[in-house]
Amino acid sequence: MPKYAEDPAWSDVEPLPQNDGGPNPLAAIAYTEEYSEAMSYLRAVMASNDMSERVLDLTEDIINMNPAHYTVWLYRAKVLFNLNYDLRKEIDWLNDTALKHQKNYQIWQHRQTIINRLGSADGETAFIAKMFSKDPKNYHVWSYRQWLVRRFELWDEGEIEAVEGMIKEDVRNNSAWNHRWFLVFGRDSSAHKEQDVIERELEYAKKAIVLAPQNQSPWNYLRGVLRYAELPVSHVRDFALGFAPADSPDDVRSSYALDLLADVYEEQHQKEEAIKALDLLATKYDPIRARYWEYKKNLLEQPTAAA
Amino acid sequence: MIGPRVEELSDSDAKVDDDFESMSDDELPPELTRTAWASVPELFSCPPPIRDELETQTSKLQDKTIQECLPFLTGKGLKDWQPQLNSHGIPELSRAAHVEFLQDALGDYPPQFAVMDASRMWILYWALAGLSFLGEDIAERVESMIYTFDAAQHPSGGFGGGHGQLPHLAPSYTAVLCAALGATPDSYDFIDRKAMWHWLGRMKQPGGGFSMCADGEVDTRGAFCALVIISLLNLPLELPADSPAKEAGVETFVDGLAKWIASCQSYEGGIGGAPGNEAHGAYTFCALGALCILGPPHETIPRYLNVAALVAWLSSRQYAPEGGLAGRTNKLVDGCYSHWIGGCWALVEAAVAGPGKPGAGPPPSLWSREGLIRYILCCAQGHYGLRDKPSKHPDAYHTCYNLAGFSSAQHVYSYDDAQTEGDEEEEFQGPLSAGFHWRTRDVEVGEVEGKVFDEGDRVAAMNPVYLIPWGCAEKMRRYFEGKVGF
Repeated sequence: MPKYAEDPAWSDVEPLPQNDGGPNPLAAIAYTEEYSEAMSYLRAVMASNDMSERVLDLTEDIINMNPAHYTVWLYRAKVLFNLNYDLRKEIDWLNDTALKHQKNYQIWQHRQTIINRLGSADGETAFIAKMFSKDPKNYHVWSYRQWLVRRFELWDEGEIEAVEGMIKEDVRNNSAWNHRWFLVFGRDSSAHKEQDVIERELEYAKKAIVLAPQNQSPWNYLRGVLRYAELPVSHVRDFALGFAPADSPDDVRSSYALDLLADVYEEQHQKEEAIKALDLLATKYDPIRARYWEYKKNLLEQPTAAA
Repeated sequence: MIGPRVEELSDSDAKVDDDFESMSDDELPPELTRTAWASVPELFSCPPPIRDELETQTSKLQDKTIQECLPFLTGKGLKDWQPQLNSHGIPELSRAAHVEFLQDALGDYPPQFAVMDASRMWILYWALAGLSFLGEDIAERVESMIYTFDAAQHPSGGFGGGHGQLPHLAPSYTAVLCAALGATPDSYDFIDRKAMWHWLGRMKQPGGGFSMCADGEVDTRGAFCALVIISLLNLPLELPADSPAKEAGVETFVDGLAKWIASCQSYEGGIGGAPGNEAHGAYTFCALGALCILGPPHETIPRYLNVAALVAWLSSRQYAPEGGLAGRTNKLVDGCYSHWIGGCWALVEAAVAGPGKPGAGPPPSLWSREGLIRYILCCAQGHYGLRDKPSKHPDAYHTCYNLAGFSSAQHVYSYDDAQTEGDEEEEFQGPLSAGFHWRTRDVEVGEVEGKVFDEGDRVAAMNPVYLIPWGCAEKMRRYFEGKVGF
């Protein structure tokens, strides 16, 4: 059933038919008539730079059939801006579409373009929370959230609290840990270099480790903070020993603690201890990474390792 | 992810492929009980030694994945998968089935695949590269391939996802790689290099990076895709006069690029899509690939990245008992990371090894090749095509990147300041030729913990930066070095 060809509103447009590429195109799709026709009209309006309101209906029609179509989204944004369209209405429509198509990322790029133009982040955090309730590690949503925080300077607008809630929900959600890092250390001010902030972050990571010691997220965070603050890893030696007692190799509760202790021993020139820890990782607690532990052992032999 | 994943476009998430549903032995009718694979080491047949009691969504999914993989890793309790075993007693590579799968991927698709309309050009790369890795001759596909891409070539430069679609770095990247795979003057010359140069000039950002398309996202994929295109087509490094970045004082495609990539390394050591983003396997490969085009790995990688943190993070992406690779901390193994993470190792090992010296030993091997090979042969391959994990359907994306990772596990790569092995012609001229200086050889006993594949399971060697079979990238570069002007 032709939709556009019989619509008087489109009678002035000459559709541009599809060209899949020669007589034997590869991976050709047998499009439905509806899709094929709508795309032919889109090609035509793009060729003539048609920015009229009817193009919004056309793009919506195509997006409903194929939300993974970056060209349609980009052209839609152009038309919206050209028409001075009510961008709040666009966001309302986007909310439904995004929830329907969880993994689509063109939607997020479009959302960013619209919100940027709109100049307001009202309601965005609530919508993001809704998305995270379905997939708390969605990479595109987290990237969008970071853009939002930077663009609207939301650093102190409930972000830390939100992320703490998510870490409480799942202490292994590494995306949430990464966002915490971004909030504390990713902003352009010097406040985060202060000693109390460093101590606070170390404590936060330690508390999370106590809950589940074999969870790499807070260990990575802990190491990140130490490196950032230029503190020696031995700063957390006693803490790590609580999960990997040096005199009791059968009672290791965290391979990450043992890994960190190997670095502590290296730093403190206790080469024999470092080798013992790395051997224990290679043979018992993390043998899939045996070659990496071996490599770290070899680094101990190099003169630069002691520096 | 480097591009739209076909798997993500379908509704395959919740489904378990009936054929592969695992059951315990006592549920099996007698005719279906089978002997397990030959003795599988404890590392690949038992849950990890430490397990926290606290349950969260992440730990539940991880436990479920281990339970899902164990029957495939051991061959115990599989319902009706009776693969041919290789001489090491684990499933052999079902080469003929995967060839057929990729041939079919190049065929026609029913209407519900309209959602792939913007990612069709990816399918061409996944299928043609995958077939090449499997040793298939793709010559008879080249003419159709050229026609298909040409319909998506944009008059103002670059390639879109299809006819009439806006130019985008992802399909432009696949177009150039497929042209290289075609390996004929016709397959090289259908690309409008001058228009490509102008279009790339509009994608270059004042901050050093590249956007994927006009008004699109600026991320590490953009940097990698652009450098692959510029270096293979041997485009001038100077920005065209109409490039907006010139107004910000940027003069060349590479100005500020390595520094921008460096700003994407996260506190974990891996690299994210943009500054501040979580470390992620696919973006990490793109970042490392880009640095290995900008210069020799032992120079660019340590100059711009914290190597110790990078190696620690990469190494943590391999899990046992699965043996496979995961894309982020606390995420699950997935066959596509066989390449995105597995493919990083050749580049990182070369960086760690330092400049190649005559008579120097091989670069250190920093990961478990055996683990990945087991994951691919036992968990990632089905009857037909390769997949994320046993509960997922195979698709062209996972087939290509599992095979690329398989190739990485079967070959040793090293960087040579001279030039590519077997290439007796004169040195590469011009800038951005670092990606053409690799040497390769088959992995030897002792470099893989336990050798678990036969020669019949071997896939082709490839250029570890360009991800196309050995020699294709070098040949294309030479062709364009021989051209005067556009």
